Amino acid sequence: MIKKLLLVDDSAVARKILLKCIPNAEQYEVHEANNGLEGFEKYKELQPDLTFMDLTMPVMGGVEAIEEIRKHDPKAIVIVTTADVQTKTIEKVMDLGALLVVRKPPSSETVNDAINQAEIAFKNRG
Amino acid sequence: MSQSNFNDLFPEDEAAILQEVMNIAFGKASADLADVIDIRVILSVPDIRLMRASELPAQIVDEVKIYDLISIVEQNYWGKFKGTALLIFPTQASKGLVSMFESEQEFFPDAENVMFEKETLLEIGNILIGACVGKIAELLKDIVSYSPPRAFTKNLSNETFQEKWTDSEKVAVFMRTIFSFEENDVSGFLFLILSQDSLKWLKTALNNFMEKYG
Repeated sequence: MIKKLLLVDDSAVARKILLKCIPNAEQYEVHEANNGLEGFEKYKELQPDLTFMDLTMPVMGGVEAIEEIRKHDPKAIVIVTTADVQTKTIEKVMDLGALLVVRKPPSSETVNDAINQAEIAFKNRG
Repeated sequence: MSQSNFNDLFPEDEAAILQEVMNIAFGKASADLADVIDIRVILSVPDIRLMRASELPAQIVDEVKIYDLISIVEQNYWGKFKGTALLIFPTQASKGLVSMFESEQEFFPDAENVMFEKETLLEIGNILIGACVGKIAELLKDIVSYSPPRAFTKNLSNETFQEKWTDSEKVAVFMRTIFSFEENDVSGFLFLILSQDSLKWLKTALNNFMEKYG
């Protein structure tokens, strides 16, 4: 079962919104990072079960961060949270191994569905 | 007006909410444009500042100063969210922009002509500005109307924008993103300038937006 979450977004407001949309958020150990590089560093340090990743960020964007994380851990489960819903962007992050994309602003329903899919992926990855 | 006065007028926490709203709106705008041109649009992190309206011309010039000749699409919007949108490209990029629409070239045989470049600029402006301002209005529960977009080319100087913002007493919210196109050497700027008249409403609307997230 997923226990440890990493939320990567340069906006503290976006992280707060996402956290509020996670059902029973208090049951998770939640860590935060405010850019892709910090997200990658925290990923290596914390080995979260599930990572939520924004795309447009300073220092290192989400696309590059997903690439680095998946190189480091090919089983990493990453959900992209973004306002950038271009088909080509979605194709790109899915090609890099993201599990799915949640459109911003998120809702409890979309985040709940995403976590349910992540739970299935978490069980299947062994 | 000092920086502390600006902070009183528009505190950091409200600016942070606006930045996330802008991020969502710019994302929607880039997706709408990418749908049309079938090329991935890449955005910078939005930059938001409160400043004197009279400082806006110099600020815009400073942002785009690497270009001598610029093409501008200007569109005003009215609602509770009220202001001016400016889409700015280096003029030399116009042909690159036209080529992104080349699948329609057969309907416009003389794709090199000035009129088609202007139409292309207007179309890009319409898509980006409409989607962006429309999304902000939607998120903040407002409805906006638009003036017809206007496209023109100018030599860059402080005078380029001077006539628009002369009231040194007023403040404005300045919002900027830089966008580029994957595998194309074309980039441009989208500025949204919000008038002081909207500030009171904006602060309430931003707080209402966050309220549903506790």
